[in-house]
Amino acid sequence: MNRSLVTMLTGVVVASCLASAPARAGVVVRIFPPAAFMATATPVYFEGHAAYWYGNSWHYRDGRNWRTYREEPRYLREYRTRREPERRYYGNRRR
Amino acid sequence: MRFLRMTGLALVAGFGLSAAAAHAAQAPSPTTAAGSAAPADDQAVSELKEHHRHHHHGGITKFISMSLDTLGTDDAKRPQIEKLQSDLHAQMGPAREAEKNLQLTLADGVAAGTVDTVKVNAAIAKLTTAADPMPEASLDTLNKLHAILSPPERAALVDKVQAHWEVWRQVNHEEKPGGRERGGQLAGLTEKLSLTPDQVNKISAALHTALAGLPGKFDPKKGEAHMHAFSAAFAGDSFDAKSVRSNANAHLASRGATRMALFYETVTPLLTPEQRTKLAEHLREHASYQSATSGK
Repeated sequence: MNRSLVTMLTGVVVASCLASAPARAGVVVRIFPPAAFMATATPVYFEGHAAYWYGNSWHYRDGRNWRTYREEPRYLREYRTRREPERRYYGNRRR
Repeated sequence: MRFLRMTGLALVAGFGLSAAAAHAAQAPSPTTAAGSAAPADDQAVSELKEHHRHHHHGGITKFISMSLDTLGTDDAKRPQIEKLQSDLHAQMGPAREAEKNLQLTLADGVAAGTVDTVKVNAAIAKLTTAADPMPEASLDTLNKLHAILSPPERAALVDKVQAHWEVWRQVNHEEKPGGRERGGQLAGLTEKLSLTPDQVNKISAALHTALAGLPGKFDPKKGEAHMHAFSAAFAGDSFDAKSVRSNANAHLASRGATRMALFYETVTPLLTPEQRTKLAEHLREHASYQSATSGK
């Protein structure tokens, strides 16, 4: 009886802790540009780094890591509305 | 009581799993980046892979040159950058001509139904020799390039060179021989030549055997060493191309060309005459590839 109650209470405690953790419901799967995209996409330079528009977000390298702008900076948004970030095609028929 | 115990356990297990899933979703993974919003193998990516399967002549120097295609410098610098890129193309000219000769030799063999391996091996040897030295002029070109670029542009160039190296390595070394995965060389050939399922089976098995026994294994450490030396030096405020001691250009050219040749030697006997004609034409197109910037 006691063990059952302890088990159940443990479940309730864990559940309440998880439920109260911030932003759990808003978890965003981060998507970073793969190498083949990097090699064919033209970046936009902003805040001292090259930013890439990929997967509907702007990403940039920070040392060995990638970072993503959670909110699109105004400069980059305006850039993107003026001109689509360029890609390079290496096919024989379309240079 | 039993019911209560089970309910408690289920709650613990359920929320434990939820927590694990949420944690996994948050962990960034640069190498598994493809998402529905940005297909992993779009047209530009497919064409890049196909390019790297067929063009090996400049090794890392070629990756540097290609990186300038998408560096995105401001308009004021663009003419200078294009001039330096054109210089790099010219400096890789002998190796590029040797590669062209190899591709045309392969194309002739594919069209005829049998690839002359003696001619092909001689062509690969010429390419390797031509790709080996780092011309003094190209060192000067790289120094000028460093001087023109801003620190963020240099960092972006290093990222791009590394990206090209990664793609080259994927398609010329890591791709499973005879693999049928989407975006792979056999999948591309199947689409291009409308291969029958029987042909795909035979070619897959033949490539698996042939490429598994590829003479002279590619050593990615040589490429890594060159990449690391270039990246570390070029990202700095001062740069002297002579300080980059590693040179994997000939190794990349030789191993990439050997794999390419073996691929065509292996698939040719398994194709129909019409398919061979089409494939030979495809190789000739690669042989006549011209960079948009240099016209070479």
